[in-house]
Amino acid sequence: MPYYQTWEEFARAAEKLYLTDPMKVRVVLKYRHCDGNICMKVTDDSVCLRYKTDQAQDVKKIEKLHGKLMRLMVSKESHSGAMETD
Amino acid sequence: MVLLENDAFLTELTRLFQKCRTTGSVVITLKKYDGRTKPVPRKGHPETHEAADNKCLVRASDGKSKISTVVTSKEVIKFQMAYSNLLRAHMDGLKKKDKKSKGKKTKAT
Repeated sequence: MPYYQTWEEFARAAEKLYLTDPMKVRVVLKYRHCDGNICMKVTDDSVCLRYKTDQAQDVKKIEKLHGKLMRLMVSKESHSGAMETD
Repeated sequence: MVLLENDAFLTELTRLFQKCRTTGSVVITLKKYDGRTKPVPRKGHPETHEAADNKCLVRASDGKSKISTVVTSKEVIKFQMAYSNLLRAHMDGLKKKDKKSKGKKTKAT
């Protein structure tokens, strides 16, 4: 599974993947202080998107994307997924 | 796997980051959670679980100990702020792009 080269593409693909099936997608973040790098993975167990970085400027981007996905997960999605309205 | 309250989880996560500064990695996982506590029933069996739509599961591990917490929509704002601050404060061992600081006096790293 290749690593994405640009953050933009990774973030867009990650959000898109999440919206296709919120229940299946998980986000994994691995931080190694001793090696000075972060690896982020978004997967639905069939598609796997990964991004690796050792740049301090990417920490903010990663943390923002994490927050965004977290908020998507706890919001009641009325546009994607089946919502039965009586 | 230790299930904690949001605040206790953040405290433990801080401790994990501090423990792994010299060696090892911290792995954080984020996943949407529908509140089920029993396994998914087999086909033909009635699904007695009402899916909750507003929760997510956050797990963290340093390879040895594991901690987790459930965040609901009511707590997400507070949790997300504290969580972002935590990440930014601890993920500081990375390279900084210093194109501009070549002319300035370089401070000791």
